[in-house]
Amino acid sequence: MKREPHVHEPPAWLQAVLSGQRAAIARLLSQVERGDRDPAALSAALAPHLGRAHVLGITGAPGAGKSTLVHALLGELLGRGRTIGVVAVDPSSPITGGAVLGDRVRMGRHGAHPDVFIRSVASRGHLGGLSKTTSAMIDVLDAAGFDMVIVETVGAGQSEVEIMRVADTRLVACPPGLGDDVQAIKAGILEIADVLVVTKADLPGAQPTARDLKDMLHLRAAAADGWMVPVIGVSGTSGTGIAPLADAIETHGAAAGRGRRLRHLATPAPHAAHEGPAARVRRLATLDPFVRALGISCTDAGPGMAVVEITLGPRHLNFNGTCHGGVTFALADTAFGLASNSHGKVAAGIDAHITYQVAANEGDRLIARATEVSRSRKLAVYRVDVARSDGTAISSFTGTVYVTQVATP
Amino acid sequence: MSNTMSSAARPPEGARAPSGGSDPHAAGERRGAIVPKVLVTKIGFDGHDRGSRVVAAGLRDAGMEVIYTPPWQEIAAVVKLALEEDVDVIGVSSLATDHLIVPKLMDALRDAGLGDVGVVVGGIVPDGEEQALVRAGVARVFHPGGAMPDIAAFVRELACQVRARRVAA
Amino acid sequence: MNKPVPGELLAPPSTDPQAALAAWQQDYAATVGTDKDVANRSGIPIKPLYTELDWDAGDRAAGLGMPGQPPYTRGIYATMHRGRTWTQRQLVGLGTPAQYNERLREILAHGATAISPIPCNSVFRGYDMDESHIELLGTCGTVINTWEHMDQALAGVDLARISCAQNDPSPFTLLAFMLAAARRRGTDWRQISGTSNQSDYLSHYVANHMFFRIALPGARRILGDHIEFCNRHVPRWNPMSVVGQHMQQAGANPAEAVAFTLCTAIQNARDCIARGMDPDQFLPRFTFFFDISISLFEEVAKFRAARRIWARVTRDLLGARDARSWRFKFHGQTSGVDLTRQQPLNNIARVTVQAMAGILGGLQSLHTDAWDEALSVPSADGARIAVATQNILREEAHLTDVIDPLGGSFYVETLTDQMQAEIERVMKIVEEAGGMYAAVEAGLVQRMIGESARRFQQRVDDGGQTVVGVNAYQVDEDSSARPINPRPDRAAMQAHLAAFQDFKARRSQDAVQRALDAMARAAGDTGDNIFGRVVEAAEAGCTHGEICRTLRRELGFGHVQAIV
Repeated sequence: MKREPHVHEPPAWLQAVLSGQRAAIARLLSQVERGDRDPAALSAALAPHLGRAHVLGITGAPGAGKSTLVHALLGELLGRGRTIGVVAVDPSSPITGGAVLGDRVRMGRHGAHPDVFIRSVASRGHLGGLSKTTSAMIDVLDAAGFDMVIVETVGAGQSEVEIMRVADTRLVACPPGLGDDVQAIKAGILEIADVLVVTKADLPGAQPTARDLKDMLHLRAAAADGWMVPVIGVSGTSGTGIAPLADAIETHGAAAGRGRRLRHLATPAPHAAHEGPAARVRRLATLDPFVRALGISCTDAGPGMAVVEITLGPRHLNFNGTCHGGVTFALADTAFGLASNSHGKVAAGIDAHITYQVAANEGDRLIARATEVSRSRKLAVYRVDVARSDGTAISSFTGTVYVTQVATP
Repeated sequence: MSNTMSSAARPPEGARAPSGGSDPHAAGERRGAIVPKVLVTKIGFDGHDRGSRVVAAGLRDAGMEVIYTPPWQEIAAVVKLALEEDVDVIGVSSLATDHLIVPKLMDALRDAGLGDVGVVVGGIVPDGEEQALVRAGVARVFHPGGAMPDIAAFVRELACQVRARRVAA
Repeated sequence: MNKPVPGELLAPPSTDPQAALAAWQQDYAATVGTDKDVANRSGIPIKPLYTELDWDAGDRAAGLGMPGQPPYTRGIYATMHRGRTWTQRQLVGLGTPAQYNERLREILAHGATAISPIPCNSVFRGYDMDESHIELLGTCGTVINTWEHMDQALAGVDLARISCAQNDPSPFTLLAFMLAAARRRGTDWRQISGTSNQSDYLSHYVANHMFFRIALPGARRILGDHIEFCNRHVPRWNPMSVVGQHMQQAGANPAEAVAFTLCTAIQNARDCIARGMDPDQFLPRFTFFFDISISLFEEVAKFRAARRIWARVTRDLLGARDARSWRFKFHGQTSGVDLTRQQPLNNIARVTVQAMAGILGGLQSLHTDAWDEALSVPSADGARIAVATQNILREEAHLTDVIDPLGGSFYVETLTDQMQAEIERVMKIVEEAGGMYAAVEAGLVQRMIGESARRFQQRVDDGGQTVVGVNAYQVDEDSSARPINPRPDRAAMQAHLAAFQDFKARRSQDAVQRALDAMARAAGDTGDNIFGRVVEAAEAGCTHGEICRTLRRELGFGHVQAIV
C-alpha cells in the first residue's frame, strides 16, 4: 500500500538537506542563487527548521584580514567540536559580471575538514555589499543543521548595515593603524557591531587602534539588551586572541544572539506604524537645520511626493545678481530628500543631476515638486521640477537613493 | 627546470565578453544564459602557477565565476570543493607531468557523484598521453599557445552542457 | 663628381658627427616607410642607429675598467673565457639514482665539466617517495631521499675534482647527503666545490613557490646558518646563489630581474653582517644565477651593468675591502620561457642565441636547455645537442678568443648605461620599501612582476611580439612524429621504493631520533647551527622527508599567498 505523504513531512529534496547531505545542500544553494526556486515557497518550507544555528556576520574594510581571521576561528571552533557552514562573499566585476572567488582559499586548509562547508558567492553588484540571496543561503545552512554559520562579506566599509538583517552576532574587523580613520568609518558599522576585532594584533598600531575603538564605544548609545561590546586583539598568524574571541562570540550567541535575526525580520520599525507619509514629511522638514537656515518651507507632501518653496532674498544671490545655483540645487534636493524618506526608511542619496534652464532673480518665489519615478526594495529614483510662481520652468533635477533598513527619526 | 609559457594567437574577431546593461548577470540569466562556475586548480607536485593565474583572470574577464586554488591540492580536497561549490567545470593546470594523476581525480569525482562535472586540462601534455586523458573522461586538453578567447568559449560551452544535463536529471 | 682613386678609401660626405647623423636620418626617413617604435623587454626605447654621439669612447672608455679591474664592466677576471672557458654545467635529473648516474656519465663524456643533479618534484616539495603518488616519481628529476641515494647517483664522480652543484632549497638536505657520502668515501670536504643553487628563499617566495618549503623567518635563519657552516667547513662551496632566474621566468623584465636580485643579495649580506660575519669572509662565496632570454643585446648589457653596480655596492654599501668580494660571478641558464612547443626544433636556434648572449655577457658557467624542454623532460639526444651547442660556440665560432668583444660598441655601451639606470631605479623602489625582505613580505615585488608579465603577454596576444610558430609563421604540424619521452621504468622505481623501505628498517632508529631531536632543538636556539644539525641527521640516516617535516613543524610550513 502506498503511504500518503503526511502533510507535515518534508519533500525528499528537503529531507536530504535537513539530514545534512552535502550534495543536496550544494544543489539547493545553487537553486537559491540562480533563482530556480520560488523564494516564498522555499522560505515557508525552511521556516520550521530555522533558529538552531548561530549566525555570525563578519565584515570590515578591505585588507582588514577577514579571511585570515575566519581561518583562525575555524580552527578554534573545530577544536571545540562545532560544525560550521561558511558563506564567503566576493565582489563581482560590474563590467563583465565575472569574479574570482578567492576568500575560500584564504581560509586555508580547514576547507578540507569534513565538519566545514564553504560556499563562495559573487556579490553581483548588490549595493548593500551582500548578494541578494545570501540571506536565503544562510537559512539553508541553518536548516541543514550546522552549529554555526559564518557569513563573510565584501569589505566595502559602507552599508554593512545590511548584515544586521542576516546575522545574529555581528563582528567588525579593523586593521591596526586606523587612527584618525576611526572617525571616518561610517558610524553605521560601529553602531551595529556586537564584537570588535583588531586584526594583526602583533603589529605596533594595534594597541592605539584598540583604544580608539573603545573610546568610540563610550560615545555610542548603550545597546537595548545591555550587551557590552568587547574589543579584542587577534593575531591570525600567532593565534593570540582567538580563544577569547570565540568565547565572546559564543557568549553573545547564548545571551542575545541566536535566532535574533529572525525576530528582527518580524518586527516593524516603530514609527512607521503610527505616522502617515504626509505627516512624516512635514515633520522631517522641520528637523532639518539647513532647510531652516536657507528659508525653505514644505507646502505639500504625500507618499513619495514633496513640494517645497523659497522666496529669494539678497543672501541667495551670486556675484551676477541672480539666484545662486547652489540655492536652486538645495531646493530641489530638499524636495528629493523629503519625498524619498516619506516611506519611513532612511534613504541615502547616491546620485543626483541638475540642469539649469532659466536664471531666477531676487524676489522670485521658486517651487520644487518631487515625484517618485521608480522604487524597488533597494533603490528609488525621483524627479524634481523647479518652477517660478508664474509657471516658468527654472530647473530639472533627478536623483537616486539607496534605501536602508534604518527607520527615519 | 624550465617553464615554457609562449601563448596566444590573435583572438578571433568579435570575441568579447557580454556587456551592457546595469546588471550583466540579470541580463544574462534573463536571456537564458548561465554564469559558469569554474574551479582552476593544480594537483600533484608542480608549483608553476603563472599560467593557471592568467587563465583564472581570463575566465573572470569573460564573465565567469572562478574559484582559484594555489598548487599542490590534494585530490580529496578538490572533490570536496567541487561538490560544495557546485562547480560546472574543473580546469586542471599541469606543467610537469602532474597530468598523470588526473585519471585518479576523474575516479574520485565519479565516486563522489560528480561524474558529470566537466574537466579540462591545460599545460604540457605529451601527444602520446593526451588520448589517455580523453579516455579517462577529460573533455579537452589545451596546449601552450592556446588563445584565451578559445579557452573561455570552450569552457562556457562545456558548462552549459553540464548544466543542461543536470536540469534534465 | 670625382672618380674614386683605386686603393684609396672613399671619404664620407661629412666627418662632423652631428651633420653626418642628420644626413643619415634624412636618408632613413625617406626610405624606411612606416617605422615602428621599438622598445626592449626592460622598456628601453631602441633606436635604429647608435653613434659616438650616444657614447664617445674617448671620454668614457677608461671608465669601463679593464677586465678583472673594478668596476668590471668588461669582465670580472683578466683572462675571462680565453684563459679558462666557462663551466659547462648541465642540470640533469630523472628516475632512480642508478638511471641518473648513467645519464651523468654520458654527459661528462660529451664535454660537460661540472654537474648538477635535479631532484624529483616530490623531493622539491619535501616528501619521501613513500609519501607520494608513484606515477609522479622520477618524471622530472631524480628521487634522492637518503645519503645512500646520493652516493649511488654520484658513483664514479670524484667530488674533489668535479664541481657538483645542488639544486635543493632550504634546509639543503641534498648537500648534507653529498657531504655525508663524501665523508664515507674519505673525500676531504675542503676540496669540494659547487654551489647551493636554490639558497635564495626570497626568490622562491616571490616567483617559484615550488621551492618554498619553510616559512620566511625560518628560511632566513637557516640560510644564515648555511652560509656560516659552509664558509667554515666547506670553504670552496658557494652557499649563496642569488637567483634572478625565477623572477625573470615569472615575468620580470631583465632590468627588474637584476634589480630584485641585487637587492636580495644586499639583504642577505646585511643579515650576515648582523650575525657578526665580515663581508670579505662571505661575499667571495656569493654567486648569482640568471635567466638568459633571447633578447641578445639587452642581456649582454644587463650583465655588464650588473657587474658595475655590484662592484660599487659591495665596496661602498657593504664595506668589503677585498677585490674578491666585489666580483659579480654568475651562472646563466638559457630561458625556457622563450621556447615553444610548436615547431620545437626551432628551439635549437633560440638556445644558441641565448647562449651567445650569456657568453658575450661574461658568465662564469652556463646551462643550455634541450630543444624538447617544452615537451617534457629532455631526451638524451636533446641533452647532447645542448652541450654540443656550447662546444660549437666556443670552438667553431671562437667566442672565447676575445674578451668582451661587444665592448666599445656605441649601442652596447649606451644600452649598458641605460640598463644600469633602469636597474638602479627599481633598486631604489625596493630600498625605500625597507629592503628586499620587507618589500617581499608586503607583496610589492610580486605586484611589479605580475604587471610586467601581463604587459608581455599582452604584446604576444596583440602580435606586437612575434613568436615564430605561435602567433606567426604557423604551419600544420604532424605531432604524431614527435618523440615520446619514456616514463620512468615502473619496475625500477618500485625496486627503488623497496630498497628505501629496507634502508629505513636497517638504520639505527635511536640515532635517527636523536639526530631529529637535536635538529628540532637547534631550530629554537639561535646559538646553534641548524644546517650543521641537518648534516648530522643526514649522516645518521635520516631521510629527506623526515628532515623537512621536522623543520617545517618547528619553523612553520612555507605557505605562499595566491594572488590572481
